[in-house]
Amino acid sequence: MKFKYIEKFKSMEKREKKAYLGELLISNSLYIFLIAAIALIAILNPRFLSWSSIINIISLSAANLPIALGIAGAIILTGTDLSAGRIVGLVACVSAALLQASGYASKMFPALKTPPVWLVFLLVIAIGALAGFINGYCTATFHLHPFIVTLSTQLIIYGALLLFLMIGNNNGQSISGLDPAFTNFIKGSVISFGGTPIPNYVWYVIGITAVMWVVWNKTPFGKNMFAVGSNPDAATVSGVNVRRVIILVFTLAGLLYGVTGFIEAARIGSNSAATGLNYELDAIAACVIGGVSFVGGTGKIGGVILGVVLLRLIFVGLTFLGIDANMQYVIKGLIILIACAIDMRKYLVKK
Amino acid sequence: MMKIRFSALILLLCLLAPCFAACSGSQQADVHVFYYNYSDTYISSVRSALDNELSAAGISYQDYDGAGSQTTQTEQIRTALTKGAKAILVNIVNTGSDDAAKEITALAKEANVPLVFFNREVSDTAIADYENSAYVGTRAEEAGILQGELIGEYLLANFSACDLNGDGEISYILFKGEEGNNEAIFRTKFSVEEANAVLSKDGKKPLRFYDKTNPNAYLVDKNGLWSATAANEYMTTALTAYNASGNNMIELVICNNDGMAEGAISALNAAGYNKGAGTPTIPVFGVDATDAAKNLIRNGQMAGTIKQDGEGMAKALLHLARNVIEGRELMADTNEFTIDDGSRKIRIHYEKYVG
Repeated sequence: MKFKYIEKFKSMEKREKKAYLGELLISNSLYIFLIAAIALIAILNPRFLSWSSIINIISLSAANLPIALGIAGAIILTGTDLSAGRIVGLVACVSAALLQASGYASKMFPALKTPPVWLVFLLVIAIGALAGFINGYCTATFHLHPFIVTLSTQLIIYGALLLFLMIGNNNGQSISGLDPAFTNFIKGSVISFGGTPIPNYVWYVIGITAVMWVVWNKTPFGKNMFAVGSNPDAATVSGVNVRRVIILVFTLAGLLYGVTGFIEAARIGSNSAATGLNYELDAIAACVIGGVSFVGGTGKIGGVILGVVLLRLIFVGLTFLGIDANMQYVIKGLIILIACAIDMRKYLVKK
Repeated sequence: MMKIRFSALILLLCLLAPCFAACSGSQQADVHVFYYNYSDTYISSVRSALDNELSAAGISYQDYDGAGSQTTQTEQIRTALTKGAKAILVNIVNTGSDDAAKEITALAKEANVPLVFFNREVSDTAIADYENSAYVGTRAEEAGILQGELIGEYLLANFSACDLNGDGEISYILFKGEEGNNEAIFRTKFSVEEANAVLSKDGKKPLRFYDKTNPNAYLVDKNGLWSATAANEYMTTALTAYNASGNNMIELVICNNDGMAEGAISALNAAGYNKGAGTPTIPVFGVDATDAAKNLIRNGQMAGTIKQDGEGMAKALLHLARNVIEGRELMADTNEFTIDDGSRKIRIHYEKYVG
C-alpha cells in the first residue's frame, strides 16, 4: 500500500507534488502540532515525559473520555447535547450521597446503610440513561433540534440537582466522606508503571471505549447512526427507524454521562452543584477537534480519543510551562478553531 | 399524530405540577433574599440557616438564585420591588465594580424599601447613598490573615516534620478560587504574607512557591468556581513533577476555600498521602469550615481551616429584617455587633478551626 502511494507520488508533476505535500501537511497538521507541542514542552521541562506525567495525562483523559464518546453520537446526528455536564453533576452527587461512608459525621442520609458499589453504579447509569432517553424522546417525537431540547433539560436537571442537595442533612453542602470501597474501586490501583499507580478507572474507560468502538463500527445500530447523521431522509427511505435511532443514541449518551459522573464522584471526592458545569463544552470541543463533524455522519472513536487527549495535553502542558491562565484561554480557543477549519476543509475537498 | 398529541399532553401535565407546588408556597413574602449563586456551598449553608431563622421568627420570605449573573439578579430585584417587598437582602453577584451595587441601591431608594447587602462586599459609598441600607459580612482580608497565622503557627510547631527534603524552606502550592474577586485576592495575598511574618519572627526562611517558573505564585480555577475539580487536576498534575522521588515534594497546600482543599486532598490520596492518621501527610489549609472539612480535620487528613460563621451571618440578617418588619429603624439595637466606624457595615468574624 505504502509503495503504491510513493509510486503515485513519483509519477506526479512537480507542481502536483507540491500541492500534494501541502495537502498532506494540512490534513495531518493536528498530529504535527501535537508532536511539536510535546517536543517543545519536554525540552523546556523534561519531567513532562516522565512516567508519572504520562500516566497523569492518560488518567485525566480517561476521566473525560466517556462523556465525549456520548456527545459524539449526538454530534454525528448533526445534533449536540448541552445537558451532558449537568447530568454528570447530578449523577456524581447521587452516587456520592448513596456511597458516603457509614458513620461519617455529616452524612446526607444518616440512616442509610452503605449499599454495594455495583448497585449504585447500576442505579446511577440508569438515571443518566433516563435523562438521555428524555432528550432523545423529545428530539425525535417533537422534531425539535437537540440544542433546544437539551437547553431545556439541562435547566430541569440543574434544578433537580439543587433540590437534591438540599434534602436530608445536607443543606446544600458539598457531598464528601465517601466509602473507601467506592474510592478504592475508582481511584485504587492494581497496576503500577514506572512507580506510578494507574488508577482503576482508566481500565474501565478503556473497556467502555472498546465496547463503543464495536457499537459504532460493527453493529447495525452504529451503521444506522451514521446513516441518519448523513441523511435522515435517505435513511428513512432505506428502512431505518430514524426515531428509534435518535432515541437510542441519546440514551446511550446519557448512560455514558452516568459513567462519567460515577467516576467523577470518587475521583474528585467533593461533589457540589458546580460539579460537571461546562463539561459538555470540553467534550464537544474534543469531538470537533478529533474530526467528529457538525456536518453529521462522520466521526471515529480514534478521533474522539485524540481530541480528548489533545485538550488534556494543553491543560497539563500549559500548567507545566507555568503559562498565565488568561493566555490558556486564547491558546485553547485557537486550537479548536484551527482544528475545525482544517476538518471542514477536508470535507469540502471531498465534495 | 396521536402519539405527538399524547406526548404533548404529558408535557403539559408536567408543566402544571410545579405550578401547584408554587401555589402552596407563600404568595406575599415580606422579605426577599437574593443569593448570588445556589451552587456555592458556603452560601447554601447561609441560605439554609437564614431560611430556618426567618421561618422560626414567623417572617414570610422568598429566595432567589442569581445563578452568577448580575443581570439576572438586578431583574429579580426590580420584580420583587414591584411585587411589594418590605425588605430586600442582597448577596450581590458583581463585586468587581460598584455600578451594580449603586443601581440596586437606587432601585431600593426609589421604592423606599430597606436594603441589606450581605456576604459579598459593596463599597462604603454605595452604603452611604441610601440611609436605609446596610451591609453584613466579613472583612475580606481577615480570612487570609487568620489563615496565614494558622499556617505560620502550624509550621513553627512542626517545622522539621514539614520540611521533607530538609532544605530549611517550605515549598507550597496555592489554589486561588477566582480571578478578580476580592475575597480570593486577599486570601491569596495575606495567607502567604502572614505565614511569612510568623516564620521570620522565628528566624525561618519565607515560604517558597513550588514552581519557580510560575510568576503568579498561585494556580487559579479558570472557571472561577472555586472548585474541587480545578484544585484536584492541578494538584495531580503538579505531583507528577514534584514528589518524593524527585526530592522536591510539595510541603504545604494553601487553598482559598475548603472545596479546593478537598480536591487537593483527593489528589494527595491518590499519591498515597493524607489518608488519615499514621500516613505521610502534607498540611492542607482551607477556608469556610464546611462539614466536609471539619471531618477531614478530625481524621487528620487536613491541617486546619478558617471558620466563616454562616449562622452568625444569618442571625445578624434576621435581626435587621425583624427591625424592618416590626417597624423599627433598620440599624436599631445593633450594639452587640461589630460595626465599622462611620458606616453601616456589620462585621462577622472569622475564626481559626483546627478541630
